Amino acid sequence: MRRPKLRNVLISAVVFALAASSPHRVGAQTRVSIGVTETMETHNPYGDSVSLLYGIWSEVTGPFCTYEYDKGEFEGRLAKRWEVKDPNTWLFYLDERYKFNDGSPITAADVVHSMNRVLKDPQSKQKASVAGPIDRAEVADKYTVKFITKKPAAPLLSFVCDRLIVTSKAAYDKYGRDKADREHMMGGGPYRLKELIPGQRMVIAKRPDHPEVKKNPRAPDEVVYRVMRETEQRVTALLNNEIQLAEFIPPHLRKRVEASAAHRIVPVDSIEIMFFAMMPKPPFDKKEVRQAVCYAIDRDKIINTLVEGFATRLDGPIGKGQYGYDPSLQPKYEYSPEKAKKLLAQAGYPNGVSVELQTPVGRYILDKQISEAVSAMLTSVGIRAKLLTPEWPTLWANVQVGKVPFYYMGRGSVQDPSAALHQYFKTGGSPRIGYSNPKLDDLFDKEQQEFNPEKRKAYLRQAMSLLTEEAPACFMWRHKMLWGQAKTVDYDPLPDGRIYGLHMKALK
Amino acid sequence: MKDYLIRRLIGTLPVLLLISLLVFLLIQAAPGDPTLMLLGEDATAADIAEAQRRWGLDQPIHVQYLKFLISAVKGDFGRSFKYSQPVSEVIVQRLPATIELAFFSVIVAMIFAIPLGVWAAARPNSWVDNLGTTFGLFGISMPSFWLAIMLILFLAGILNILPTSGRSTYGIAGEEITGFYIVDSLIQKNWAAVYDGITHILMPAVALGVNMLGILMRVTRSAVLEVMQEEFVVTARAKGLAERRVLWRHVVRNALIPVITVVGLELGTVLSGSIIVETVFAWPGGGSLLIIGLNARDFPLVTGLVMTYTVAFVGINLIIDALYAIVDPRIRY
Amino acid sequence: MRSLTLESVTSLPANLSWLRTWMRPKVYVGGFIVLTLIVVGISGPMMAPYNPNHQRLERMLQAPQGIGGEHVLGTDNLGRDILSRVIYGARVSLLVAFAVVFISGFVGVGLGAISGYFGGKADFTIQKLVEVVWAFPPLLLGITIMAFLGQGLFNLILALVAQRWIPYCRVVRGQALSLKTRDFVVAAQCLGAGRSRIIIRHLLPNLIQTSMVIGTFAMASAIISEASLSFLGVGVPPEIPTWGTMLADARIYISTAWWLALFPGLCIFLTVLGINLLGDALRDLLDPRLKRTASGL
Repeated sequence: MRRPKLRNVLISAVVFALAASSPHRVGAQTRVSIGVTETMETHNPYGDSVSLLYGIWSEVTGPFCTYEYDKGEFEGRLAKRWEVKDPNTWLFYLDERYKFNDGSPITAADVVHSMNRVLKDPQSKQKASVAGPIDRAEVADKYTVKFITKKPAAPLLSFVCDRLIVTSKAAYDKYGRDKADREHMMGGGPYRLKELIPGQRMVIAKRPDHPEVKKNPRAPDEVVYRVMRETEQRVTALLNNEIQLAEFIPPHLRKRVEASAAHRIVPVDSIEIMFFAMMPKPPFDKKEVRQAVCYAIDRDKIINTLVEGFATRLDGPIGKGQYGYDPSLQPKYEYSPEKAKKLLAQAGYPNGVSVELQTPVGRYILDKQISEAVSAMLTSVGIRAKLLTPEWPTLWANVQVGKVPFYYMGRGSVQDPSAALHQYFKTGGSPRIGYSNPKLDDLFDKEQQEFNPEKRKAYLRQAMSLLTEEAPACFMWRHKMLWGQAKTVDYDPLPDGRIYGLHMKALK
Repeated sequence: MKDYLIRRLIGTLPVLLLISLLVFLLIQAAPGDPTLMLLGEDATAADIAEAQRRWGLDQPIHVQYLKFLISAVKGDFGRSFKYSQPVSEVIVQRLPATIELAFFSVIVAMIFAIPLGVWAAARPNSWVDNLGTTFGLFGISMPSFWLAIMLILFLAGILNILPTSGRSTYGIAGEEITGFYIVDSLIQKNWAAVYDGITHILMPAVALGVNMLGILMRVTRSAVLEVMQEEFVVTARAKGLAERRVLWRHVVRNALIPVITVVGLELGTVLSGSIIVETVFAWPGGGSLLIIGLNARDFPLVTGLVMTYTVAFVGINLIIDALYAIVDPRIRY
Repeated sequence: MRSLTLESVTSLPANLSWLRTWMRPKVYVGGFIVLTLIVVGISGPMMAPYNPNHQRLERMLQAPQGIGGEHVLGTDNLGRDILSRVIYGARVSLLVAFAVVFISGFVGVGLGAISGYFGGKADFTIQKLVEVVWAFPPLLLGITIMAFLGQGLFNLILALVAQRWIPYCRVVRGQALSLKTRDFVVAAQCLGAGRSRIIIRHLLPNLIQTSMVIGTFAMASAIISEASLSFLGVGVPPEIPTWGTMLADARIYISTAWWLALFPGLCIFLTVLGINLLGDALRDLLDPRLKRTASGL
């Protein structure tokens, strides 16, 4: 009697499990699962400073404002509009239709509370990225909030937009920080947090009553973010329909996805700029040596072979779609080993010179392979590059304190290039390159204090032209990020790698 | 026996102290800084200095260590920088996943290794033995990350019978009771979740256990071979007992001691081998946590985790010693 | 003491019993593999058809062309010849394996002998050290050492040695404990031999055998660990081709260009197989009753 019973149980378990794991079982409910590489590790929304996570939290708490890539401008969301009252004071007007998921309105007091958490929460890691130039926030009236900066800061929006996470002051006061974050997550976004298992997945569910949801009624009811670090794993899961979207498909694996009739590959230009940085210490204290490096690297060849065409060459620090881009920016570096050798000789190294190049591994698309190819190219013109691949925390820490003379790196979140350029190239901006040029500093100062967009872009262009000429870094390309998609989902990925459920259309 | 165990327990205290000091020094001396890792791209020097002050990193290292030690004695390992949560809480959340995985991988290894080893030893130097040896060596010679990706490609990709990663499918699990997913599902008689849990754990358990399988098989083989030379086996045979009975009743039972020893020793390596396997399979356990902690240079978290592993390791060895006495009544302490 | 058993009566005379070992296929297969490896390792530069680091991007990811083709085992993602890299890799992997085994054997046997023979404070200190180091998660130690000292072949060897001396130390200590009470040691003491002389002349020769067996297993695990450290991004610099880094780099190409991963993987497997087969034979030859000790990582 016993055995058949057990078998029946097992069979029904299998049947039930298979039914449960098939992707679209949920009747009227639609769900999109996404394979991502980074994880949400903490319940504290201010506890991490990672681009992807800003995006996910924004879905839950409502983006304050967002950058629209089509228009090249910032657009209002929770903050429906804003004005610069005086160079040090910005006013943001909140959209009264936004409500927390318990129905209470989102007011200026909540925004101030959130900005205070960014600034003062001992566990906050977002002060630099979100608050940036902001000194303090104040309530102007119930739905108007005032941000006060230490000095005039034209690029302020690039800090708060897509990044400022607004949470409820009432919940915080009532339950205390940890409990409020863990058990009473209040947000004003189109989705609410449903499940969070650190290191494994995060689930958000749509709020049908939210004003933004009406813009796209076919947005999935649930979005599941699943951690999958290995590329083969993401592709396999995508083809098995475990997930419907997969980020960071390396170029050579796209064929596996394209071979499936039910899937497609969608490329998008990333806004992360890739470059080789050179600290102005011998031999890179000589402009000629730095320029020689730029001439010696055959970017087109690397793009056409290694990355199989999925990158856009950069002539200058930024490219199309980024704030202040100018296609006619001069100078441009073509591939010319002869020029490189000549410049090297001019700099006093006719017999070449030995350098150490450091690169991260697995952080950017084909980073190690690209650096291996580049070091071979450099070696062939006489810059004998020995490649090192330290683990990321070591490399990143050393770069940030200015201990790595020559490295391959990317800088993400470059919508408005101002913050990135200041950080890497302005005197005292950071020790990462340690480059200093008074002429450049002057242009950077003017740019930062100029509130007229056209004039500001002109200053930026002058600065970028000078920067390219001086070459403290050789700008390489922006990768085209490849997304694997099931054809049951319609989604245009964003250049900054953020993923919004509201941009998706579930087709079944 | 009791005295012995107590003595051993007291003896581990200085070891724990030394290890905490060593971990503390090693991770602090290694290049990298949690503030640099965690504050994001835009952090300025002032932001970093401020965070260092907030997290107590600006104090001299001996002060930091003493502070850590004093609160550790009270059972408080500090707050993780990365998780903004007490370290003990983070670890407790993650530990069941690792234990579940380690347990399963040991089971997988033993189920295959012991019969194979006995079988090979019963016919030394036959084709069975050679095949078994090669199979065991195959297990030893494969880096676990490599095997893991191969398994994903083959079982999840080509055959499409197992999920690629994670510990559970979203929406199937019931309430969390013990934190052990499969055990919880069993308690709640949620058979779909039990099945779901088993399909998720199979690949990581195999990837983690294959190395141990290879070693165990060889140990079993040589232990059985050795016991077979003992007089009582000869006596048993002389009595006219069936060969099968001699093998399983008399030989295998006596060959278990070295097998248990190695299981214990290897459990420690399984625990730390889970670092790689958990990372590949997005298994939310202590191993992947250690990598995250190391990558963020999250000092309190890494120190707390290593201490936990050490205690587990020492504990396992103690249990093994106690097991000896049970399996072999001749052993006294 | 072995007592009289049926087997010992019917087996070959004791002084000839080692001959049996040489008749086994294990020895031939293992010996052949290890010998080939050593030959390839030493004469690598002469055998390799290309410079292992020579890139030709326009020829990347070519499938194996077989014997007679331009790239017998194909090319990797930078257009480098895989056969040449595998051959050079043999050198490095063997060098690492031998160095690790030799150094850790030296340290472990030395400390174990001192610990077992002198006892007392020396024993206590060494055994505490053993406990502390052994309780560390092995990969953690490897990562911290590599991060702290930086990348390099020597540092890699150091990181791998860090815990591998312990099995030697433990086994040797136990043996030394029993040896020092044996008659021949006591006799030497009575004759007035110094301590160092007793350790070097009387104890060590008796300890070497076991250690050699441990060494063969440690060698295999050193090769695997090198690959694991490469996977975590703390291996040797990329200009040194090793099987481990080749395997770690190949993992994103597994489904699209299998040959990148197959050949270094196969090499690791064959090497470990060869070394272990020889190790087995060695064990049978030296001491048929020796128990297997656990391997490292």
